[in-house]
Amino acid sequence: MGWLSLVVLAPVLAAAAVWWRGARWSEVEAARVGVGASAVSLILAWLIWLTRDASAVFSGEVDHVWIPALDVHWHLGMDGISYCLVLLTTALSGLCCLSLARERTADEAGQPGRRSLLVLILVIESASLGVFTALDLVLFFICFELALIPMWFVIAGWGDPHDPAGRRRAATRFLLFTVLGSALMFVGFIGIAWQADTLQIDALSVSAPAFTGTLNTLLAVAIALGLAVKTPILPLHIWLPDAHAKAPTVGSVLLAGVFLKLGTYGFVRILVPIMPVQAAQIGPYLAAFGVAGIVYAALACLRQSDLKRLIAYSSVGHMGFVALGIGTLTASGLTAAVFISVAHGLITGLLFFLAGWLKERYGSSDLAALGHGMYRRSPWLAVAFCFGCLASLGVPGLAGFWGEMLALRGAYEVGPTMDRAGAWTLLGIAALGIVVTTAYFVGLIRRLLQGTPSPDETIRHLWSDDPQPGDQGPDDSGRIARPQVTDQLQEAEDDGVVDLDREQGIVTGVLAVSVFVLGIVPGLLSGTIAQAMPWIVGGIR
Amino acid sequence: MIGLTLVIVLPALAALVGLAAIDGIEIALVSVGGAAITFVATLIVAVPRFGTAGPVGGSWGHAWGTLNAPDVSFALRADSLSAALLLLAASVALLVQIYSVAYLADDPRYRAYASIVSLFSASMAAVVVADDMFVLLIGWEMMGVCSYLLIAHYWERSDARDGAAKAFLMTRTADVGLLIAIIVLGQAVGSYRISDVLDAVAAGDLSGSTITVTALLILLAAIGKSAQFPLHTWLPDAMPGPAPISALIHSATMVAAGVYLVARMEPLFLASETATIVLGLTAVITMLIAAAFALAQDDLKRVLAWSTVSQLAYMFAALSVGSVVAAIGHLLAHGAFKALLFLAAGSVAHAVGSTAFADMGGLRRPMTWTFATATIGFAALSGLVPLSGFFTKDAVVGAAYDAASGGGEGPAPSWLAWLIVVATLFTAVLTVAYATRAWRLVFSGERRGSETAHEAPALMRWPMVVLAVPTALMGLAVVRPGWLAGSEAEPVHSWVAVTSTAILAGVVAMTWLLGRAGDPATRLGPIRPVLAREFGVDAAYNRFIVAPTLAASGLVLATDRDVVDAYARGASSGAIDASRLLRLAQSRNVQTYVTVAVLGIALAAVVAGVTA
Repeated sequence: MGWLSLVVLAPVLAAAAVWWRGARWSEVEAARVGVGASAVSLILAWLIWLTRDASAVFSGEVDHVWIPALDVHWHLGMDGISYCLVLLTTALSGLCCLSLARERTADEAGQPGRRSLLVLILVIESASLGVFTALDLVLFFICFELALIPMWFVIAGWGDPHDPAGRRRAATRFLLFTVLGSALMFVGFIGIAWQADTLQIDALSVSAPAFTGTLNTLLAVAIALGLAVKTPILPLHIWLPDAHAKAPTVGSVLLAGVFLKLGTYGFVRILVPIMPVQAAQIGPYLAAFGVAGIVYAALACLRQSDLKRLIAYSSVGHMGFVALGIGTLTASGLTAAVFISVAHGLITGLLFFLAGWLKERYGSSDLAALGHGMYRRSPWLAVAFCFGCLASLGVPGLAGFWGEMLALRGAYEVGPTMDRAGAWTLLGIAALGIVVTTAYFVGLIRRLLQGTPSPDETIRHLWSDDPQPGDQGPDDSGRIARPQVTDQLQEAEDDGVVDLDREQGIVTGVLAVSVFVLGIVPGLLSGTIAQAMPWIVGGIR
Repeated sequence: MIGLTLVIVLPALAALVGLAAIDGIEIALVSVGGAAITFVATLIVAVPRFGTAGPVGGSWGHAWGTLNAPDVSFALRADSLSAALLLLAASVALLVQIYSVAYLADDPRYRAYASIVSLFSASMAAVVVADDMFVLLIGWEMMGVCSYLLIAHYWERSDARDGAAKAFLMTRTADVGLLIAIIVLGQAVGSYRISDVLDAVAAGDLSGSTITVTALLILLAAIGKSAQFPLHTWLPDAMPGPAPISALIHSATMVAAGVYLVARMEPLFLASETATIVLGLTAVITMLIAAAFALAQDDLKRVLAWSTVSQLAYMFAALSVGSVVAAIGHLLAHGAFKALLFLAAGSVAHAVGSTAFADMGGLRRPMTWTFATATIGFAALSGLVPLSGFFTKDAVVGAAYDAASGGGEGPAPSWLAWLIVVATLFTAVLTVAYATRAWRLVFSGERRGSETAHEAPALMRWPMVVLAVPTALMGLAVVRPGWLAGSEAEPVHSWVAVTSTAILAGVVAMTWLLGRAGDPATRLGPIRPVLAREFGVDAAYNRFIVAPTLAASGLVLATDRDVVDAYARGASSGAIDASRLLRLAQSRNVQTYVTVAVLGIALAAVVAGVTA
């Protein structure tokens, strides 16, 4: 059976247990089982990695014939890239379960049972782990698809309780886009398997140079399109803002933290090693659309009025850097793609947790309804949110920076796919995107965290100039009066300050510490990714 | 190496421990104690580096691992230049922490404030002892973050919110230049170490275009951080932050880091005539317009802010003619006297509840200590013999004069050097004028405003007194030959001394006479509103950069919404007209259809596996 199979199956076994025990476990107990199963997966993966054979590319490899008629194997293996994403998936899923291990808030009272939600989350976790460790194309595809269906239920069943029609529409759009995308991808897989007469990814990468001609270009485009929907890359991102905005907190976290990575992982694991020639043809377009996405998403955030949509669009921007990195086909760029995937999972996961809790508290993620002065109304949540924003905009010393740096370096190195003028133009536009990204996050902090503590309906977007009630701005002469905040704050002290509870504090702390550690010691992550790089870039010339 | 690491880690630890402190007294103990220990550690690390001692350094290479070649490592290095900056930062930080105990005594956010100041000290130390350029970049941007958080300390106020956002956005825009320069240099040299880069420049291994491009990109970052033209507008708007923060971050250390960066990379700049000329012209424009703006302000802190911008330009001017010694000398003297002036402004604000001139006047008698120390500060700013400002300004003018008459070290053409001589002298005139005006409006004349003024408490008074000592005497020490490695004696130019003393006396007298009837700035007539509007640079930025960006943003949102709408409309209306087969694609049914299809595939696969 192999320990790696247990890593993949532990969550789904826990799901079965939750299902089996039914109402005999309280919702909180069931959630703790989920945390435990994720922890088991995480620790097992860690042990497999510790005891790996340094000479082998894939550690913990499991290979059984599963469907002899089609020569489909239950073939799992974990290299450095898989390992990083396995850790990310188990950690985020565990934190999602942990965030459910507390009493329901008023906003969630009318939702269907939490045990079912847990079962779905654990199935999604197992399916994603399957994708990240699969070394068989059909197994990869099945896991890819298996992750989709439960997510449809999560969004449609547990999404925004104030907009039943909207959440079903969002869920359906999500499903339509991604299923159509993966259908295209499957066509590509079939084409590859038909030519090479094997489904095993490691064997396929050896025969990679054999794939040439127009047909293979078309197959590669089909695979790339399917993965680009999932990543998502402009202009295939349309499903994403709605899905994120309407999904429940845990749904948004898993969508951003794990789902988007299925797409980027597919590029790095399948397209680049198996079809390097075609990847080099597609690369410039991938990089160009990615960079366009960085600027486009940043502009979309600048006047966004909904907090969860804003964070969703910011994901499109981060994935733009991933696409840029992959498109250069340099070792730096591909390392960047994986580094950003992990860092984005942690940072945006944190932001979605915090935004989701705000939405549960105020019944809306509309910035007008959330109001101002969160620093006062919910201090630790606000500090964590500010931290998340700074990490997301790529302040050096936090995890978000290194990936962007590596992607830009990949572009500067030019790589085998582009000419210098093109690559450096993309570098310049991406740098411009960094500036606009800073602008909207600073605007968000100004709009949500700072300001006189109050809800306020008048402000329409982050940078509107409407005055806030109670503002103590400069008076007519333009002079700056010394602020009289002290008394006012003393009064506010008596108001209800609602902050993170224990579980929320743990979730926030774990994510924030990870973001900080990876920012100071990026070698932890990049060193692990480097182990897999020779195998990934081996076929590129 | 351990010492160098400690000067970064100690204040960072103080920041962390401060967050866990229970009450105001504990916070004060932790932050002042942390700053004091850091100061002692800095003394131990920095003092041996002066004079002819060579640099020390090392690397915790394995701490970071490889991010593909070239390697990123935690490499540190300190020479006399780093040592000077370290000492300045550590001593001003300590004084500011002491001062803040009293200044923010009743502030509910003192905890966050004190911790961020400690974190800032760690970042500044990281910048000046960094050898790996990414260590420098981390410190560089963390300083920006700390500055952003501290400007927004009073975040209920719209001017504080906006000033903070503007400062962060403008400096970070410029910082992108530094990031790209680091990437380019890393690829060209094969290492991210500053020492390796400078070796490569010295050995002539870099192409001319690489040198020019990276020098200009680094200059962009320095211009942003040091608020030079055309990114000069953020610093005056950063003044809503607490006064001690203006003293530490927005005059003595962080904004001076831009000067440090160019000084550190000086060989790179001197290897490119283009970069030198751009640097010199930026400095000339900035020093003149900032000094002129300082003349027309109604707010004491805003005058000091423009003065800082103008004085930083002096340092850049010195660097453009190849004199690191003159630039760093003025940086140190300015750090002392401007920190003193900002602390004095804080003391005045503490007394009268405002930083506007309209609420001041006649403070000489009630605030004897503040008056005495601020007078020394203003005199040093004006360049009065024999205070520190005189010697260091003299060195700058002298270096430019040497370059103009053909004895300079850099590639600066002599027309640029002459331009700098003229600009520095004319700026000196403006400096004396605005300093005299500000001094007069604050301390002499009738008392305006309603609040009864009182002298600052001891914890605020003593840091000012301590700063007054180097303000008065540092000049003598700085011109001592050989304090900066490889530097030669900086002769005092007697003609500069005579000229500047004459200018000083004349301008003080004139400003005083003009101001007999009140504010001397009213004599500027129609020029005053133009200066007070600061040439409308911000309005231009709003019109040509901010507004189009927001418009583009609206367009993007509309596009996304319309595409989605079109998709939804198409799905439903298409279904009405189309055949029954197409009707399956109607959004109501698609989910079922697709679900069944996908589940079918998955099930078939599983069943096939089980039965096989």
